[in-house]
Amino acid sequence: MTDNNKSHNLEKFSYDNTIVKWFAYATIVWGIVGMTAGLLAALQLVFPVLNLDLPYTSYGRVRPIHTNAVIFAFVGNGIFMGVYYSLQRLLKARMFSDFLSKVHFWGWQLIIVLAAVTLVLGKTTGKEYAELEWPIDILIALIWVVFGWNMFGTILKRRERHLYVAIWFYIATFVTVAMLHIVNSIEIPVSFWKSYSWYAGVQDALVQWWYGHNAVAFFLTTPYLGIMYYFVPKAVNRPVYSYRLSIIHFWALIFIYIWAGPHHLLYTATPDWAQSLGVVFSVMLIAPSWGGMINGLLTLRGAWDRVRDEVVLKFFVVAVTAYGMATFEGPMLSLKNVNAISHFTDWTIAHVHVGALGWNGFLTFGVLYWLIPRLFQTKLYSQKLASMHFWIGTLGIVLYAVPLYWAGIMQSLMWKDFTPEGQLRWQFMDTVTKMMPFYAARAVGGTLYLVGTVMMAYNLVKTIKAGSFVANEEAEAAALSTTYVAHEKDHWHRAIERRPVQLMILSLVVVAIGGIIEFIPAFLVKSNIPTISSVKPYTPLELQGRDIYLREGCYTCHSQMVRPFRSETARYGEYSKAGEFVYDHPFQWGSKRTGPDLARIGGKYPDSWHFNHMQDPTSMTENSKMPAYPWLLEDQVDVSSTVGKIKAMQKLGVPYPEGYADIAAADMEKQARVIAASLQNDGITIEADREIIALIAYLQRLGKDIKGEKKETAEK
Amino acid sequence: MKSANKHKLSALIAALVLPGLSLAQDSTAAPAPSAFSNALFNTLLVTSLVLLVVIIALSQVLKNIATSDRLIRNAKKSSTPTKTALVIFLLGLASQMQAATAPVANDSIGGMNQFTFYFMVAVIGIEAMVLGLLILTMNKLLREELTHEASEAAAAGKQVSAMPSMLDKLNASVSLEQESEIMLDHDYDGIKELDNDLPPWWKYGFYLTILVAVIYITNYHIIGTGDLQTAEYKKEMKAAELAVAEFMKNSANMVDENTVKMLEKSDIDAGGQIFLASCAACHGRAGEGGVGPNLTDDYWVHGGKLADIFKSIKYGWIEKGMKSWKEDFSPMQIAQLTSYIKSIKGTNPANAKAPQGDLFTEEGAAPADSTAVKTDSLQLKTDTLKAVSPAVEQR
Repeated sequence: MTDNNKSHNLEKFSYDNTIVKWFAYATIVWGIVGMTAGLLAALQLVFPVLNLDLPYTSYGRVRPIHTNAVIFAFVGNGIFMGVYYSLQRLLKARMFSDFLSKVHFWGWQLIIVLAAVTLVLGKTTGKEYAELEWPIDILIALIWVVFGWNMFGTILKRRERHLYVAIWFYIATFVTVAMLHIVNSIEIPVSFWKSYSWYAGVQDALVQWWYGHNAVAFFLTTPYLGIMYYFVPKAVNRPVYSYRLSIIHFWALIFIYIWAGPHHLLYTATPDWAQSLGVVFSVMLIAPSWGGMINGLLTLRGAWDRVRDEVVLKFFVVAVTAYGMATFEGPMLSLKNVNAISHFTDWTIAHVHVGALGWNGFLTFGVLYWLIPRLFQTKLYSQKLASMHFWIGTLGIVLYAVPLYWAGIMQSLMWKDFTPEGQLRWQFMDTVTKMMPFYAARAVGGTLYLVGTVMMAYNLVKTIKAGSFVANEEAEAAALSTTYVAHEKDHWHRAIERRPVQLMILSLVVVAIGGIIEFIPAFLVKSNIPTISSVKPYTPLELQGRDIYLREGCYTCHSQMVRPFRSETARYGEYSKAGEFVYDHPFQWGSKRTGPDLARIGGKYPDSWHFNHMQDPTSMTENSKMPAYPWLLEDQVDVSSTVGKIKAMQKLGVPYPEGYADIAAADMEKQARVIAASLQNDGITIEADREIIALIAYLQRLGKDIKGEKKETAEK
Repeated sequence: MKSANKHKLSALIAALVLPGLSLAQDSTAAPAPSAFSNALFNTLLVTSLVLLVVIIALSQVLKNIATSDRLIRNAKKSSTPTKTALVIFLLGLASQMQAATAPVANDSIGGMNQFTFYFMVAVIGIEAMVLGLLILTMNKLLREELTHEASEAAAAGKQVSAMPSMLDKLNASVSLEQESEIMLDHDYDGIKELDNDLPPWWKYGFYLTILVAVIYITNYHIIGTGDLQTAEYKKEMKAAELAVAEFMKNSANMVDENTVKMLEKSDIDAGGQIFLASCAACHGRAGEGGVGPNLTDDYWVHGGKLADIFKSIKYGWIEKGMKSWKEDFSPMQIAQLTSYIKSIKGTNPANAKAPQGDLFTEEGAAPADSTAVKTDSLQLKTDTLKAVSPAVEQR
């Protein structure tokens, strides 16, 4: 029926398995590295001593290493492994260029290593999941283009007329990730490892969470759906359940996903209309997401008895089920009344880990167990060990998620608890202390999961040793004829499936709509961000302090966003307004409150409190779990960078007076002296040029400007 | 079948538009609180909508069963769309009614007037009945079909399990035995594709979420009947203020800077506990000072009278890094703290911070150069002064 069934003019070619093997190895190695970093971070929350009092190993740097490693290194390599294996076979063609494949592989590993090194050294943009600095951003864009070029080259020389659903997902992944990465990474370089986000405050938040949310959508979801669509029917040897469902859920998913970003910003200073769009598009996302789950699970119809025996299928079933659970939970968390409870708590962490450990992790493991024996023409070394991996991994997920769900809800309710007299019932620290048993249980869950992964690595190494690798797998198929006559009763969508370029352009249009409609008003309509006249740019010293705040990853535990709830205004002060953040390049609202909100920390404590607290947090807050930052007392602020920073800010439209950059250093010194003197008053002797002074200056500024406005109006 | 679908579509549109219309009347007529801000009404509305979708989905399944080639019978399929439409109409009517009768506030149930409440409950009741009927009918049909299949299978000599068949019906899938009929001629590296229909529950669930989205945006942004976050915050604060005022009326917790007195030993101890937990970080565990001033000497930055100390704790001195504690501690707790701080005066702890502020003397007391005397007189005061309230103990 299809063209390639014609037995004449068969072409011989071979599939490139080497590149698949490399990506598979990288997936395993980086998986273990990324999970170990995660485990370290989890343990640091229980035992702060594990921060080792070193900058390189403190939580604020370890956590971005963990997230970047598991997302871009573990899942990233997993994507490429799955794509390079399935794409060649679905198109009946070898990859377009072995050279590009190699450039892609080594380029991506270089990015990962650079990322690890720079993050350890504190080179970061301070934007969650987009922490990498501008030279790496450019490298990512280039390598991503190499990937797309290689993929499209292969598509264009294919021997299969129509593109299978997996490839639609790969194409959507390629165009959308490119768009997200480029738009979100627009930043102005100050030096080789320092840049400022082009956007500020509310706009930066909108762009960042449009990116962050869709990194989940188009890096953790769509490519993995494509992988599911190839490996599940292959492993179970059953037809895909519903072609029609594939079409509808594909287009609906990529269209709707893009809009849902603002659900990360509910009850913040983001305009109400944007928040509401985030809510409703999240709700509408349930069915398109579940379409993927249904199509995955129902493909197993008639083969359920085999799930008992085949470990690969077990992993697939749990992965797809976890996907269904996480994509139902996501929309629920996007409802404002649920989000009011869940946001900033560990509920979110539990949610993402059901997705990451369940969906991405287990699907990757299933693919590896299926793929490696095939690449090495042998049987899996031990089915039993793989089965143990499955159970220990599943137990790990449960032990990870359940304590965090419990703890997250508990902490949120404690934050919101008032006595009948109208006072907050719990100090923030009380709620942190209550979290400890749950954090410990979570670390146990994470350990189990990691142990399972190591077991898999051992099992696969043994398999590889026993087998013989086929670098070039022989295949044959007929070339496509130059003319094609469509079948009359073909589904209309077939026409798109045989036009890859149009498919790519169409999917780009579909994914661009949501972002454009949300951004344009937020950038052009002034009323969305009402200005506050008393909000002024940071002083040079505060700016340097802010960069230290970014470098140390303070945003990984502290939010700067007081939401309009009684429980928050009572604890932190007036709720945050959009106009307060207009000079924040990048915004630092955060997404998690492991420690208290800092939006109004300015003036709350004396300078000496901050000094003692940074040197040893437990000296000011008993049982504090915050790392100590002793190096801030030793290291000097890099004064020479001030000129460049002020000039960069001026370019971004921050209204420093003309020529201010030249006198900024003097201003900086003056302000530093005042703080040093105030510390001296409390019996602390420290040089004025130390980083701690700059950080104190920044912290003491936070949230104060709006109070100036009140005074102004009172005077009037 | 086509016309029935059209009927359903128009009914859906009607259900979508009618509540909107009634709300429009609502918003123009009076600033009376919209029914949509009533949690009970919303719950009932959502329940009825969800039931409605389940009914539509089930009727679809029923249709599939009824029209399956093995079982051609004059089933009750024609009646279901009519019923559905009727329910939708009633639902629309209900919201109309609720709009018309909104101003009557006397005999309300959960903030809704009685008529609306009973009407909504009745609608849900009817929906539940329809649903029950549907399930009964479906069960009956399925059982007949299963026995039929079983006898056929028995004739063919193989086992048929009942569960997958039920699942297939729910998803409107073509059975495994017949799937070759819907196998498409796609073949991608050996992967084939079936052309199963969209599962009805999925399809109607999708429609429902779109409906919810339209209602949501309409409610909050087009007719503006829902509270956006600033309005919501104001309401929350107002309600809290009222609740606290109500509580305070009957509480002996009322103490402020004008009425604060030195408290008894038990209260001083309670104050000491609070001090260790929340104040010691800055003022030292013995009040010797550190980040904050020494609290045991005779020098005070903001006054050393009971009332002054009470005020300093309650309102804070933000510019000097002393935060306001009034959101953290009740007035009674602040009074306990105040008494405790008074009680540690002159204790001369180790590592005491140098004096800050002005020399302070109690009115009528001797000039402050003899701390011993002062301690005594304070002790005396502690014993003689009555507690404001023994009712509020430390939590």
